[in-house]
Amino acid sequence: MEAEIFALIMFGATIVALIMGFPVALTLAGSALFFAYLGDWFGIFNLGMLNVFPLRILGIMKNEPLIAIPLFVFMGVMLEKSNIAGDLLHSMGRLFGNLRGGLGISVLLVGALMAASTGIVGATVVTMGLMSMPVMLRAGYSPQLSSGLICASGTLGQIIPPSIVLIVLGDILQGANEQASMARGVLVPEPVTAIDLFAGALLPGLILVSLYIALQIALAFFFPASCPAINEDTDNLQGEDKSPSIFAVIVPPLILIFLVLGSILAGIATPTESGAVGAVGATLLAFSKRKLSIATLMLVARNSVKITSMVFLILIGASLFSLVFRGFGGDSMIEEFLINLPGGKVGAFLVVMLVMFLMGFFLDFLEIIFIMVPLVGPPLIMMGFDPVWLGIMISVNLQTSFLTPPFGFSLFYLRGVAPPEVSTRHIYSGVMPFIALQIFALGIFWMFPQTILWLPDLIFG
Amino acid sequence: MNWKLLLGFVSNLIDKISLFFGSFASFVMIALVLNVAVVVVLRYVFSVGFIWMQELYIWFHATAFLLGACYTLLDDEHVRIDIVYRSLTKRKQALVNCFGVLVFALPVIHLVYTKSLPLIRRSWSVLEGSVEAGGLPGVFLFKSLIALFAILLGFQLLSLFFKNVLVIFTTQSRADR
Repeated sequence: MEAEIFALIMFGATIVALIMGFPVALTLAGSALFFAYLGDWFGIFNLGMLNVFPLRILGIMKNEPLIAIPLFVFMGVMLEKSNIAGDLLHSMGRLFGNLRGGLGISVLLVGALMAASTGIVGATVVTMGLMSMPVMLRAGYSPQLSSGLICASGTLGQIIPPSIVLIVLGDILQGANEQASMARGVLVPEPVTAIDLFAGALLPGLILVSLYIALQIALAFFFPASCPAINEDTDNLQGEDKSPSIFAVIVPPLILIFLVLGSILAGIATPTESGAVGAVGATLLAFSKRKLSIATLMLVARNSVKITSMVFLILIGASLFSLVFRGFGGDSMIEEFLINLPGGKVGAFLVVMLVMFLMGFFLDFLEIIFIMVPLVGPPLIMMGFDPVWLGIMISVNLQTSFLTPPFGFSLFYLRGVAPPEVSTRHIYSGVMPFIALQIFALGIFWMFPQTILWLPDLIFG
Repeated sequence: MNWKLLLGFVSNLIDKISLFFGSFASFVMIALVLNVAVVVVLRYVFSVGFIWMQELYIWFHATAFLLGACYTLLDDEHVRIDIVYRSLTKRKQALVNCFGVLVFALPVIHLVYTKSLPLIRRSWSVLEGSVEAGGLPGVFLFKSLIALFAILLGFQLLSLFFKNVLVIFTTQSRADR
């Protein structure tokens, strides 16, 4: 019992330590190690357990599915740094801009597709904010609507495939599923892969985008002043380079994305293979637009190294954290707690979702997934929840959390890059309707699990 | 006064080493992309595959993120939860960093280094190769990456510590005046 109280204290202390602001990966590992030594001193932790840590690192080094991460990061950074993403936004804006609300819809679509899938909500919202906020404000969009659109599409991009979050989640859910199956006596469980999660996230992602677009259309109808059509004369988008064909800008990147996604979902290629094709494709695209210099290539490579290193160092740190947490018996404590909750499996699910929602106020996607899913995944799957459904519900739940004032992650970051005429109040009120849509969508996915499970079932039978 | 110059000098030297490994990791990143792409073309166009080539990209991947970790720290891109941190004064940020390096990071680096050495030594003693037929030899080098990662990141953490010690002392002396 004493050890389990230790586990709880360690959990709380680690979160407090994280908020202090030292790099997440090292804080997670360091705090866990501190408590391991402390536990050893009290005679309730066996330091010998730490001997397997290098083997864990070796396991992460040899984990083939996770190699999709640097490849998709490379693709995303290439699309961003070679300005293909920016050009896409401008061209879509030109295409739809003469309609009321058209620019907003363009921002939504480009944001959801292109949001450099780094697993860091902050980075995505900053990129989107810098890229599209000035354009929308110049076109006369209200600051509220502009903020809401950017935050919503930037966070949604994190869970629309091919996303780093889903690749990581697939890896962790696979482990959780194996554990749960073993406990139930199933020796060869059906594997859970990133492909399952990509397939599972596609329809919910489309539903969310459609809801956002419907909101934008409704606003254009009832509050036309908030999202005017682009004025041909004063608009800066026009004229500066009237390229012969807008479609020449829009179509190639879209083909690339659909090719990459399609080959994964059709079961032709693994995410790693598609990632390489996407990375090379994005590079060729940049080259064909004469936007690829040696300097750009090296910049993209350097940024990809940094993002990849960041993600994998968190993975290493989190693996030490869960090693120690398990050493204290924290996992079985959480399992018992969840199983004994009143309200059975629904109660357990709701508690987990609520805790994750609250964690979303101060931790980012990757940290929460790395810390929480290995702990709560096995008991929830044992209670009968489908791992893919669970994964998508967790993702949408966290995405909602990142939008929710006053703590939502995306709001902070947008505040940081938004021009001074956009106030915090504008941002808060701008995201409100989107939060309502998120909750509505979560309700749909809860009531109709087939919205998530239909496509994976279709693909994998 | 001299110790400040010395700290600055050592920290700059470490930064240069990390920068070198960062550039190296960037080239490895490009090699990784090309390698996987070639494997895909060979598999889907020519229906051939080589085990060593598939192992090679695993090596590239591990090399890129392990040896790039020090460079990532140099550029301060290991993600922080900066809700509080960003609003702190430079001096308090430096205190957070010094505390983090000493209490959290260096013990972890020490753990990784000491616990990985037996693993690596064993691998070297038998000059371990791939378990797969047609795989790459030199798995002992692959495993050695773990220790190299710890050494490089450890030194970059020292550099971070030195820099922040300098921040603490320079801001303090200004406040004293």
